[in-house]
Amino acid sequence: MTVPPGGPAAGREPAAAGPVDQPAGRAAGRPAVGPAAGRAAGSVGRAVWRCGTDPVGPAVLLGPLAVLAAVSVPVLTWVVLGGLAGYSLSGSV
Amino acid sequence: MFAAGLLLGGLLSGLVLALAGGLVTPLPLAGRQVAAVTVALLGLLREAGLVPIRLPQNSRQIGQDVLRNPVRGALQFGFELGTGVRTYVSATAPYVLAIAVLLAGSPAAAVLAGLGFGAGRAITPLLRQASAAPARWDALLTTRLRAVALVAAAAAVAALALLFALSRR
Repeated sequence: MTVPPGGPAAGREPAAAGPVDQPAGRAAGRPAVGPAAGRAAGSVGRAVWRCGTDPVGPAVLLGPLAVLAAVSVPVLTWVVLGGLAGYSLSGSV
Repeated sequence: MFAAGLLLGGLLSGLVLALAGGLVTPLPLAGRQVAAVTVALLGLLREAGLVPIRLPQNSRQIGQDVLRNPVRGALQFGFELGTGVRTYVSATAPYVLAIAVLLAGSPAAAVLAGLGFGAGRAITPLLRQASAAPARWDALLTTRLRAVALVAAAAAVAALALLFALSRR
C-alpha cells in the first residue's frame, strides 16, 4: 500500500511551516535537520504528493504516452488509449 | 477483486468488439482508418462543446445489492463497470475507442484496448486511496473531469491519426 511522504498522519499536521531556507538546527554546528527543517521538508513532500495524486495526473501522463506509443510501439497505443478512455469515466459508477 | 473484475469486464467488451470488427474487414482499410480518425475528431469537438451530439448510454447506476457479498460483490461490481456498458458513460473517449477498435478490425487491438479500459478504470480508486485525502480528491475530481475528458479526446485524435498514418508507410 502506498503511503504519502511523512506517513498517513502527515496530513493532520499544522500546515504552517517556516521558510525552506530557514537555518534551523544550525546551532552548535549541527546539520540542518531540526524540527523547522523537518516540517518544511514534510510540507514540500506533501505538496509534491498532492500534485502527484491530482486527478488530472493520469490523463496528462497517458495522453502524450498514447502519441508516443503510436510513433514507437504501435500495439501499445490501444492499451494506452483504453486506459485513457477508462480513466475519463472517473466518477461514473 | 474489484480491479480483477474491471479487467475481466474490459476484456469481455474487447472480445465482443473483436468479433464485431470482423464484420467490417471487407471494407477498405484506408476508408476505415479515415472514418475512425474523423469520429475521433468529432468526439474532440463534442467534448469541447462545439458539436452537440447525444450519445447512447445506460442511464443507471449499478445496484448496491451486488455488494452484499464483499468478495464476489467487488468482482461483480468491477466486472460491470469494466464492461463500460452497464452504467453512465460521461465522456466521449470510450465511444471513440470502441468505434476505432471496431473499424481497425484487429482482434489484438480490441483485446488490448479492453484490458487498457479496465486498467484505466482501476486507476481512479487507486489514486483516490493514494491521495490520503479521499474527500478532498473527490472534490478536486469534479473540477478536473472536463480537462481529463478533453485530454483523452485530444490524445485519441492525435494517436489514431499517427498510428494509421504510420501504418500505411
